[in-house]
Amino acid sequence: MNTALPPIHEIWVYLSGSPLLALTLTLAAWQLGTWLYERSGRNPLVNPVAIAVAAVAVAILAIDMPYATYFEGAQFVHFLLGTATVSLAVPIHRGLDQLRGRVLPLAAALLGGGAASIGVAIGMARLLGVDAPLQQGLWAKSVTAPIAMGVAERIGASPTLTAVYAVVTGVLGAALGRFVLDAVGCRAWWQRGAAIGIAAHGIGTSRAFTVHPVAGAWASLAMGLHGVIGAVLIPLAFGR
Amino acid sequence: MISGLLQLLVFQGIGELLARFVLPVVPGPVIGLVALLVWLRLRGRVGEGLEQVSGAFSRHLGLLFVPAAVGVVMFVPQLRESLPGLLAALVTSVVATIAVSAWLLKVLSPRDDSDDGGDDPGGLGATRAAPAASATPAAPPTAPPR
Repeated sequence: MNTALPPIHEIWVYLSGSPLLALTLTLAAWQLGTWLYERSGRNPLVNPVAIAVAAVAVAILAIDMPYATYFEGAQFVHFLLGTATVSLAVPIHRGLDQLRGRVLPLAAALLGGGAASIGVAIGMARLLGVDAPLQQGLWAKSVTAPIAMGVAERIGASPTLTAVYAVVTGVLGAALGRFVLDAVGCRAWWQRGAAIGIAAHGIGTSRAFTVHPVAGAWASLAMGLHGVIGAVLIPLAFGR
Repeated sequence: MISGLLQLLVFQGIGELLARFVLPVVPGPVIGLVALLVWLRLRGRVGEGLEQVSGAFSRHLGLLFVPAAVGVVMFVPQLRESLPGLLAALVTSVVATIAVSAWLLKVLSPRDDSDDGGDDPGGLGATRAAPAASATPAAPPTAPPR
């Protein structure tokens, strides 16, 4: 090590004051996640989001960087989530051209899938004796995270808790989706994509895009519709 | 590229404004999505710049979840006591959601729309006749352009 370098903590104070470190860390972690995902032959269990999140979490704990400081830098990436949501209009626009004859199954799947998501989650949580305040966050968890947090606020559940469940659900759905779809015997790409979009929102959609473009388009469509329907219906159904 | 990004930001802005003043129930980006969708339906085609930017976002959608999800992971230890129960609830729920949705889509769709071969409009670069079993991760029938 070169002694002419300034003390390392000074470098870190400087770096953590700028978004450089947090951004570099985030992109490097994502690069690592996608590299491992590709190396595994796109194995659904090797989820790039989960890997990147774990890598960043370990790194910021190791250098003792508070999450708030990290987020301040990484918020540029976070901001683009909204822009990316708007951009999903493009694959949805393409999906709509193939909507003929699929409206009824899609509507049924959105309502049935949404109801199953809430019913099973709440039922299991009650059965296993999870505390009531922790249960409330389960209502909106299959809806895409930004909408889920808004819905949580309206029904008096914790937005943070709901976001935790939504992220975990997204990763689980992306990882387990293929096996469930094969077990049900669901073959068409549009159906596989839509089912993942309903259950596992953005993280599932991200996975669907890497598997097949048609699956990705339908996952975005289903995710968007589930978001809009959930924002309206979940507050109405809550507590019944 | 820039024209596409600009278009997205403008629609995001429209969405945020509407969410702030007209429709507080729905988040701004979702309203922006719907507004852009309406615009694309009216216009009938997607510009080249928008095509590029939306393609890039689709490929790297997962990256954008990382900063928020890290905070979420930091929060997990606080759930220690309820963790097994919650995890069981989340796993069973997501499996049930996928199964119910997929089953409804399958049984309510016309039979010929539930085969892979029938679901392949031109232009998406997909190969035909890929049965579900060939969704093997090792050899995806069609890799999206990288």
